[in-house]
Amino acid sequence: MKAIKGVLLTCDSAVKQILLTMNEKQSFIIEDLDDHHVVIKADEEWRVRKDLEAELEKNTYSLE
Amino acid sequence: MPIKRGAEDLSYPSKRSRKALDDDEYINVDDDDSRELQSPPDTGLVPRGATINISALARKLAEARKSKEGEDGAGPSSRQFQNSLVSHIFQDHDFSWLHLKADHASRPLWISPEDGHIILEAFSPIAEQAQDFLVAISEPVSRPAFIHEYKLTSYSLYAAVSVGLQTEDIIEVLNRLSKVPVPESIVTFIRERTLSYGKVKLVLKHNKYYVESTHPETLQVLLKDSTIREARVHSQPTDNSIKAATFTTSKAPVKGNLVIPGTKEAEKKKGESVNGKGPAAAGSSTDAELFTSVVGVDADEVDEDDDNVHAFEINDAKIDDVKKRCNELEYPMLEEYDFRNDTVNANLDIDLKPSTVIRPYQETSLSKMFGNGRARSGIIVLPCGAGKTLVGITAACTIKKSCLVLCTSSVSVMQWKQQFMQWSNVTDRQIAVFTADQKEKFAGDSGIVISTYSMVANTHNRSHESKKMMEFLTSREWGFILLDEVHVVPAAMFRRVVTTIKAHSKLGLTATLVREDDKIADLNYMIGPKLYEANWMDLAAKGHIANVQCAEVWCPMTPEFYREYLREQSRKRMLLYCMNPKKFQACQFLIKYHEDRGDKIIVFSDNVYALEAYAKKLGKLYIHGGTGQVERMRILQHFQHSPEVNTIFLSKVGDTSIDLPEATCLIQISSHFGSRRQEAQRLGRILRAKRRNDEGFNAFFYSLVSKDTQEMFYSTKRQQFLIDQGYAFKVITHLDGLDGLADLVYRGRDEQIELLSSVLLANESEADLGTDVRGDAGDLAGTITSKDFGVPGVQRTAGTLAALSGGQHMSYVEQNKSANRKLAREPAARHKLFARRDKDLAAARKEARAAAKAQG
Repeated sequence: MKAIKGVLLTCDSAVKQILLTMNEKQSFIIEDLDDHHVVIKADEEWRVRKDLEAELEKNTYSLE
Repeated sequence: MPIKRGAEDLSYPSKRSRKALDDDEYINVDDDDSRELQSPPDTGLVPRGATINISALARKLAEARKSKEGEDGAGPSSRQFQNSLVSHIFQDHDFSWLHLKADHASRPLWISPEDGHIILEAFSPIAEQAQDFLVAISEPVSRPAFIHEYKLTSYSLYAAVSVGLQTEDIIEVLNRLSKVPVPESIVTFIRERTLSYGKVKLVLKHNKYYVESTHPETLQVLLKDSTIREARVHSQPTDNSIKAATFTTSKAPVKGNLVIPGTKEAEKKKGESVNGKGPAAAGSSTDAELFTSVVGVDADEVDEDDDNVHAFEINDAKIDDVKKRCNELEYPMLEEYDFRNDTVNANLDIDLKPSTVIRPYQETSLSKMFGNGRARSGIIVLPCGAGKTLVGITAACTIKKSCLVLCTSSVSVMQWKQQFMQWSNVTDRQIAVFTADQKEKFAGDSGIVISTYSMVANTHNRSHESKKMMEFLTSREWGFILLDEVHVVPAAMFRRVVTTIKAHSKLGLTATLVREDDKIADLNYMIGPKLYEANWMDLAAKGHIANVQCAEVWCPMTPEFYREYLREQSRKRMLLYCMNPKKFQACQFLIKYHEDRGDKIIVFSDNVYALEAYAKKLGKLYIHGGTGQVERMRILQHFQHSPEVNTIFLSKVGDTSIDLPEATCLIQISSHFGSRRQEAQRLGRILRAKRRNDEGFNAFFYSLVSKDTQEMFYSTKRQQFLIDQGYAFKVITHLDGLDGLADLVYRGRDEQIELLSSVLLANESEADLGTDVRGDAGDLAGTITSKDFGVPGVQRTAGTLAALSGGQHMSYVEQNKSANRKLAREPAARHKLFARRDKDLAAARKEARAAAKAQG
C-alpha cells in the first residue's frame, strides 16, 4: 500500500459537512475521524482551503 | 513566477515616474529601483520626508504583503498598492490634501468635496445644533451613536431654500462647523442649486395645471425642451413662437400668518406666525445667534415678488414627465399651495380637538411642510408607532380643504377613519369611505374621502357605482392628498393616481423610505422632496418610542441538518434552516427567560410550517392566516389580559395589522429574505410598548439565525436600515445556561433526526413564505395587512358510502395538540328564555330558603 502524505484538519461540524459535500465532487479526504477532525491529502490542502473560503463567503453580506 | 515578476518590473518604473511628476514628495525614488529588483516587496516607496508614522505603516504593509505572497504568490493587484502607501487605504477617498483648520478639534463636521457627504461627530458638544442645521439642508444617510452621515442633494437644498435659508448663510454656517474650509466644489454646488430654485412653479387653477414663473425668460428656456413643449396645451389661438404675451398673467400670491393647530404656538399665541420659529431656533438657545440668524428667517425673504406672473398650461397626463424634465434641467418646479388665499375651493370646517396635543417632532415635521405659510408637497418619514397618522390629520386640519387619503388596504382605510374621528372634530357627514364594499360621498361642498391606492388607480372594469365615485373624485379639485405608506406603491400605480386626481398639495407618509428596487428617487418628483426624517434614537431617548435592544442569535446547525442543507438546492433549504433544532432550543430558552422576567413575547415566523411546528412543540398559542376570526380574537384577548398567556406566535399577519402594545419582546425565527422594510416594521411592533416610559425599560428584539447558511447573509442585509437609524445589533453566539434548561426540546440526536425526517417529508410548498395571508379586493399586492381571509375552496372527492359515514376511519387521539385548542372557550351564551327561567328558579329557591329559615 502506498503511503499518502496527509494533513489533519480541525474544524467545526458545519465546516466538516461542507468538506464532505466537496469531497463528493472531487475526493480528497483520506480519513473521516470524527465530527471535528478529518485527514485530507496534503497536496489538495491549498485548493480545499480556497474553495471552502469561497463557500463561506457566499453567506456574508457586504455593502459593496 | 520570475518571468511574470520581470514583466511587471518593466512596466513599473514608468508608472513610478508619472507618480513622481505628480507629486514632488516622491522624487527620491530612483535609487530605490535597484533594490526593488532584488526584493520586490520592500519599503522602497517611503518618501524621505515622510514622518515616522508613515514609514512604520509602510513597514507593516510590506510585511503583510510578504506573508500574503507566501500564500498565493504576488498578484498584479498587490503591486498597485506600492504606488501610494497610506492613501491606498482610502483609495479614491484620499482627501489628505484638504487642510485642517487650526481649531478643527472643536468643529464637528467634515464635508466630502466629491459627493457632498457630510460626516458629523455626534459626540461633539455642539452636535445637536449642527444636527438641526444639517437636517434642514441635507438628507440623513446614517445615524448611529457617534458618527452621523448626511448627504447634500439638490432636493434637500431646494427644501432648505424653500423654508427660507439663504445661500450665503448655508455656506457660512457650514464653514463655521467644518473642520476644513468648505470645498469649492460644494460651494458652487450649493450656489447653483439654490439660485435656480423657486423660479418655476406648478400651480393648479380651475382644474388645470399651469407652469408659472415670474421670469418669462425661464419659461422660454423650458419651452425649448421638446418634452415640455409637447406637454403644453395650446388653449389660445396663437402661433407657436413664444411671447410673453401668450402667457397668462396674474398677480403673485402674498403670504400672511399661519398657525398649525395643536402646536404650542397655536395654544399660547393664537395668530402669531410660526414662521419665525424654525426647528433649530426652538432647540438652540446656547448658540442662538449663530443659528437663528440662519434657520429662523423672517418671511419676506422667500418672496420673489413681481406683480406679474406668467404661465402656460400643460397637459394633465404629462405632468409627471414635465416635472421630471424640469428637475433634469435644474429648474425644479415648486409645488406650493397657498391654501389660505384659495377662494375657489370651499373650506372644510375641521380642526383638531382641543385635547389633542402634538409632540415636538411632529410639530417640527409640520413646520417644514408649512414653513412659509403655504403647503409644500413632500414626504415625512417617522418611525412606526411615532404617530404618522396624527401628523397627516394635523396637516389636513391646517389646510382645511377637501382632502383625499389613500392607504394600502381596506383595513387601514377604517383605521384612518377612526383616527380622524378620534383626533379631529370632523363629523360623520364630512368623512366618506371608498372601498370595494363601501362607496360613500360626503355631504356638502368639501370633505374627506378615504380610499385605497388600488381602488383609485384601477383601470379595469368597474362597477357602475365605483365608476360614478371615480368621476366624483376626478372631477373635483382636492386641496390636499395624503399618501400613506408611500414606499410600497408601485411607480406606475402612483403615476395613475397623481395624474387622475387633481390635488394642490401632496403629503407622503412612511416609516421606512427604503425599497429593495431603488425606486425611491421616483417619489422625489412624483410627490416632492423628503421634508423631514425623524431621528429614531432621539425619539427613543425622549421616550416617544421604546428603547430597543437588538440582538442576533447565532444558532449552529446540527451536522445532520447541515448535511441535508448542503444537498438541498431548492426552496427547502429555507425550511431546513428554520427548523434547525438548535434554533428550537434557542427559541425555547429565550421564551422561558423572558417569561420569567415578566415580558410579553411575540414570536414571528414567515413560514407557516415552521410556525405551527414551533408553537405546537413549545405549547404556545399561534395565529396565522388560516386561524379563524373568532379564535384569533380570543387568542389576542388572552395575550393582552391573561397572565397565563405570555407568548404568541404570529405569521406575516402580525407584521402590520395587529396592534399589541403589551408586547415587550420580539423573537424572529424566519423572515422574508433580505427585506429591510419587514425588519423595520417588525421592530415597530414593540416600539409602541405601553411600558416604554418605565424606568430603565428596554424592549428586546431577537433575530434567530442558523449559522453557515444563507440566513446569515439575509439577516445582515435586513439589519442595514435599522443600523442606519442608529440601532446596534449585538451578536450572541452562545446562550448562557441553554444546556442547563430542564425540559430542553430536541436534546437527543434521535429526536433531532426524527425532526429532520419530518422536515424532509414536508412538501416543497411548505417552504413558501406567507402563503397563509390572503388580501382583500382593494389591497395592494405585496402589502399584507388584511385581517379577513377567504374560505378555502370546495373540494370534490369520490368515496364509498361506508367511508363517508366514517366506517373506514381509524380512531386516533391527537398527541401533539395545538395550544389554541386548549384555550378555555367562553361558555355559550344562554338563550334569553332559559336565562329568565334560571333567574326565576334561583329566586324561588332563595325564597324557599328564607321561608325555611323563618320557620326554623
